[in-house]
Amino acid sequence: MRRTLAAFLLGGLMWSQNLGDKPPVIMAPVGNVQVRAGATKDVVLDFRVGSEFHINSHTPKSPLLIPTVLKLSPPEQVTVAEVKYPAGKDVSFAFSPDEKLNVYSGDFSIDAFIKAPAKAPAGSYAVKGELRFQACDRSVCYPPRSLPVQFQVTVAK
Amino acid sequence: MKRNALVFVGLVVAVLAMLASGKYLDRVRKHGPMKLAGNVQGAPAPDFTLVSLDGSKVTLSEFRGKAVLLNFWATWCPPCKVEMPWFAELQKQYASEGLVVLGVAMDDSQPDAIAKFASQMGVNYPVLLGTDKVSDDYGDVQFLPTTFYIGRDGAIVDKMTGLLERKDIENAVKKALATAYRPAVVRQIRARADVKSTAMKNVAAKDATR
Repeated sequence: MRRTLAAFLLGGLMWSQNLGDKPPVIMAPVGNVQVRAGATKDVVLDFRVGSEFHINSHTPKSPLLIPTVLKLSPPEQVTVAEVKYPAGKDVSFAFSPDEKLNVYSGDFSIDAFIKAPAKAPAGSYAVKGELRFQACDRSVCYPPRSLPVQFQVTVAK
Repeated sequence: MKRNALVFVGLVVAVLAMLASGKYLDRVRKHGPMKLAGNVQGAPAPDFTLVSLDGSKVTLSEFRGKAVLLNFWATWCPPCKVEMPWFAELQKQYASEGLVVLGVAMDDSQPDAIAKFASQMGVNYPVLLGTDKVSDDYGDVQFLPTTFYIGRDGAIVDKMTGLLERKDIENAVKKALATAYRPAVVRQIRARADVKSTAMKNVAAKDATR
């Protein structure tokens, strides 16, 4: 928790130092994930959306809007059993008061369930991927971006 | 002591100037010189030919003598949706005075989906399919909506990023309509731009051979 807070504080500081090109979303680092062969582990990925931004949820209300999607590419020794997204908030903005958008803002977490098959060899494996999102503020929308995601999974027998 | 401080400051300034010019020349080498950057008011609007939703080709310079509202938008941009009906109204209201509205869709969606969306927004003006090149030429249009107001002489009168009030948009349209079309002056502006372009290309080529 302290690490997460420290990471967000550091990210926030970097944000304030580089106002011209602020990333709309940052991710807290993930500690080493321990999983036993044959078991599944819920890996919680914490993200923060900058205070003036919002991003579409995983299930926006229009097919034209770009959903937030986590894509993970695990090595062959482990698999991604499931990805669970949080529900978005229905919000209407000044630019379109009659329309509600389903968005993430502030802090949100995505659960990635990592499974180590029973025959998975013991070892440490990097799971890499990206969070694809599209952000807007109160008057401007930004092109879709991808935030790199990476964490280490240690499989124990 | 004072002299040393002055020398140090001079060196820092020189290094910064070299870095800045190096970065600029690198950009020139990669993209060519005729890009919009910084304050674009008065700069000639970069010409382009883009394909419209009906499959025809539209070239900006064909509208010389008219005021052009050039709006970059996307179907995934909710603030863009608010402006589009206003642009359609302004097109109707000022067409007889010489206003041309052009939409540039910076979208990965299929043209059919873009056309359906534009129709739902009541768009009555040509919608062109944007490219990375045109975005780059107009100063790397990242933020949507972004609208350029181009005078009858082909020079940019104003650039607005983000959703604004209708009255601000209409005022910019009036400014663009108030410009004069003087072919001789236009030729001078374009000639100056061409000379600058050639000179920068020469610098870039010389730099590339080093």
